[in-house]
Amino acid sequence: MRIAPSRIKLAIVLAVLVAAHFALRPRFGPSPLAPDLVLVALLFFAIRSRPGAGAVAGFIVGLLVDAATPTAFGSSAFALTVVGFLAGWLKAVVFPDNLLVNAVFVFAASLARDLLQVLAAGQLRSGAAALLVTSPLAALSTTAAALLALVVFHPLLRGAAAR
Amino acid sequence: MPIGAERYGSRADAIAFLACLVLSLTALALPEALRRPIAGALRTTVLAPVLAVERQAVTAREQRQNTVRLRAERDSFALAAAFVPELRAENAQLRKLLKLGGRLGYGFVDAEVLHQTGLSDGLTLVLSAGRREGVVPAAPVIAPGGLVGMVASVDAHTSVAMAWTHPDFRVSAMVEGGRVFGIVASRRAEASGEMMELRGISYREGLAPGTAVVTSGLGGVYPRGIPLGSVAGVLNESGGWERTYLLRPAVHPAQVSHVMVLFPSRVRDTLTTDFDTTQAAAAPPGTPP
Repeated sequence: MRIAPSRIKLAIVLAVLVAAHFALRPRFGPSPLAPDLVLVALLFFAIRSRPGAGAVAGFIVGLLVDAATPTAFGSSAFALTVVGFLAGWLKAVVFPDNLLVNAVFVFAASLARDLLQVLAAGQLRSGAAALLVTSPLAALSTTAAALLALVVFHPLLRGAAAR
Repeated sequence: MPIGAERYGSRADAIAFLACLVLSLTALALPEALRRPIAGALRTTVLAPVLAVERQAVTAREQRQNTVRLRAERDSFALAAAFVPELRAENAQLRKLLKLGGRLGYGFVDAEVLHQTGLSDGLTLVLSAGRREGVVPAAPVIAPGGLVGMVASVDAHTSVAMAWTHPDFRVSAMVEGGRVFGIVASRRAEASGEMMELRGISYREGLAPGTAVVTSGLGGVYPRGIPLGSVAGVLNESGGWERTYLLRPAVHPAQVSHVMVLFPSRVRDTLTTDFDTTQAAAAPPGTPP
């Protein structure tokens, strides 16, 4: 079976984002405001895929995130499944080359992920302050990182499709 | 495929979505005894490479910081080299500031905190030391400032610590000097950030703001004398017979990058109440570092 060049390009971008998440982020010290490049990679994949593929990718990524921070195992899987599915479902309105639309999309996805995760973990009361303060700031940094990635990887992402 | 059809997805997409949702909810509903082995298996297999990359990145950052610090130390020592007494004093001061390990002497292992993204970071911490390094479940996790939490689960080379900020965390505490005992738990959603609360204090025992609170050593999990925080004020009074106090924590887990995990041999020890500056009990002769 021949793999389409656009898929290979997308896979390269996703691999670079995931590697950067784990290799670069710790170099700047522990901060809840650090950009979440794994979420960016998931969104890049999901808006170029079918909703079902986005949901499955979200579930797998979420499960691995849950394993790394097992406070409420399954909460990230739940949140990212929903985010991945919605990202694939909304791709008709998210133009991959439009920076403004992508910014709003990534920001909303990051907030939705945090809200769903807190709800699923049953930590709404204890996590309310973080949702109101930390979460929007983290969403902003993730959005900035996503826009930077879009600009840097524009030649690879142009016309890339996962399905 | 027309855009409209893509947008709303197919039946297969809906089935995949629902299947993933059900699996997620199943994972959430799993008992703790099943969650830990699954999470541990994922960390030691699929996540092992990325955790290794992250560990290297943390090490690189610390080496960079160490380089800057060592340059400063070298310059300081070069300046003071002509004055040996001053050099000795400065050396001792740097030891006190930088090496809690020197004070503890034995019975611990260093670990880096592999911070993760997300709101749960700070409630549980992934540590870079595991079973092979001697870490066991329920081992106390400390930082130079005081108690960080306890080890919840252990893998071969990593472990997961439950920080004191976790809603389930409790520790038996006492006021320095051992005249008042209580239970310390986390208190979240405070406007000023994460705080602790000291519960079960008799109404007649008034604690002044700033009073230091340390671990009591009761319960056989934490050594006596590890700083927890200081009294910030009265939180509430229950029917005129009990008070709950708000504590300002000694350590914020989300900001900790390096911790020490104590071995079981230290649990019965009394560590100093002046954690940052005073020497702990000396190691017995022949004890390996």
